[in-house]
Amino acid sequence: MNQSFELSRWLMLVSKHWSENRKKYTLSLIAMAGLLLVWFVFALVMERARPIDDNIQFVTYYFGLFLVGCLYASMLFADLSSKSKGMNYLAIPASHFEKLLCTLFYGVIAFFICYTLLFYLIDAPMVKLSNAIAYSHWQKTHLAGSTFEAGRVLNVFTAIGDSDNHGDEFYHFLLAYFALQSAFIFGSVYFPKFSFIKTVISLLLISLFFVFFVGKVLNEMMPYGSFYKGITSYRVFHVEAAASGSTIVTSNDITDKLVSLPSWIEDVLIFIAKYAFAPIFWTLAYYRLKEKEI
Amino acid sequence: MIAIQNLHFAYRKKPVFTGLSLQLQPGHIYGLLGKNGTGKSTLLRNMAGLLFPDKGKIEIMGFNPEERKPSFLQEVFMVPEEFYMPDVPLQHLIKHHAPFYPKFNKTQFEKYVTDFEIPLDSTLQNMSYGQKKKVLISFGLASNASVLLMDEPTNGLDIMSKSQFRKVMAGALDENKCIVISTHQVKDLENLIDRITIIDEGKILFDQTVDAISRKLSFRISFDSEEVKQALYSESSLRGNAIISPNTEGEESKLDLELLYKAIIINRDSIQSVFKA
Repeated sequence: MNQSFELSRWLMLVSKHWSENRKKYTLSLIAMAGLLLVWFVFALVMERARPIDDNIQFVTYYFGLFLVGCLYASMLFADLSSKSKGMNYLAIPASHFEKLLCTLFYGVIAFFICYTLLFYLIDAPMVKLSNAIAYSHWQKTHLAGSTFEAGRVLNVFTAIGDSDNHGDEFYHFLLAYFALQSAFIFGSVYFPKFSFIKTVISLLLISLFFVFFVGKVLNEMMPYGSFYKGITSYRVFHVEAAASGSTIVTSNDITDKLVSLPSWIEDVLIFIAKYAFAPIFWTLAYYRLKEKEI
Repeated sequence: MIAIQNLHFAYRKKPVFTGLSLQLQPGHIYGLLGKNGTGKSTLLRNMAGLLFPDKGKIEIMGFNPEERKPSFLQEVFMVPEEFYMPDVPLQHLIKHHAPFYPKFNKTQFEKYVTDFEIPLDSTLQNMSYGQKKKVLISFGLASNASVLLMDEPTNGLDIMSKSQFRKVMAGALDENKCIVISTHQVKDLENLIDRITIIDEGKILFDQTVDAISRKLSFRISFDSEEVKQALYSESSLRGNAIISPNTEGEESKLDLELLYKAIIINRDSIQSVFKA
């Protein structure tokens, strides 16, 4: 018997999880659909003259994804905060890896698919409805020669408005979402109680430390200048002593010096920033689960 | 089957075990007795891999419980004092939970549940604490795990259920299983356990088989004041004086577990001197 991963055992775990949580999940999906519906109705009521535009759909989708996704992620290992539930969870004859994979299946993949489907289930008819309302409003008020521009159902994974240039931004939003959500998954294993709040505070503290480190420590160590096109190139300004004893700083393309790290370092940093956070936090969650005691 | 060597364990800075060693064999029901807070539950959780020793070693059927490998978890089933059962029908439990235990026997499960007078078509959501506990005990027994660890299993059970519990447990033991029952309600385990282990202040205070106890000690009611004076332990009651004395005549007497427990806690040296002789 493989002690780390067996597909049949993992499928049993997935099936067990569903049998125990399906009511909760169904109710949560209904509640989420209700909230989306209320929000779109509110948007419609506030702006009857114009169809629901790309920006509203974009903000709604990603705001909901980040908020609900992170909230749900922080509850994924909530069983471990209760002695009785935690013992039951750890005693199930499956490996820690299988338990983590089952959690990631529901928390990352299933949630993302369900949320996206639910969003479109509400978004598509609401855009249609808003088009109809805005069109009837336009018929009553439009000036001669003007044309009605109907709203469209936004593809949240490609581009916003007319711009193909913005396509990449969506991709980065998704990567940022998975990275942030993975931090909340780790938080739910690491903090037995109030994991959402504690993870938020921890992330804030880490961000503050990072800003302080770059702004105060790193900047103090560097010669006078500034980062140039990213954080792997540094432009050193020209400094000369004045007759009065003070220093004069000048900056121009001729006198400044540019110090750049090798391009592979920049590639590695970009790769880490884009893709590595989520797997790193999942791995940390695995090791934390392995050493969990109740 | 279970070997505990030099176990050290502490909650933060409060030590619970400082060098506990114990060997448990299959084919027995062990009674783990002790006062509240002496570490009975902690010992069981260490054995189940839910807590990790600070020092020392636990080995169960060749497994290190800390690793919580699936093969280990299939062979060691724990019925905790504070337990959780999902709010699902019993049939769901059989369908979705039982497959994790390769030796699970559905017929046995249904028999135990029926013995405990719980309808097979019921749902855990509508059950009382005691009923849920009976389902968990039935499930643990039907899982046919080689090691069954039970922490205060009779807590929350009514008088009839306690009697059913003893009946069910007596029929569940075979030569391949090792059952460890921790309790402070010693009366509930009478006629059930065949080895008594008493823990106090993180150490094994007493560890003997019921056979050895019956051979070496005599439990009876006495009205003879001289006999009471010479007894290893005595306690006055309405019926006379309940005493424990050395069994020099080889007579058979009914083991009074509660009396023995109190005698060991209060007058350990004199009781142990009989076993050393």
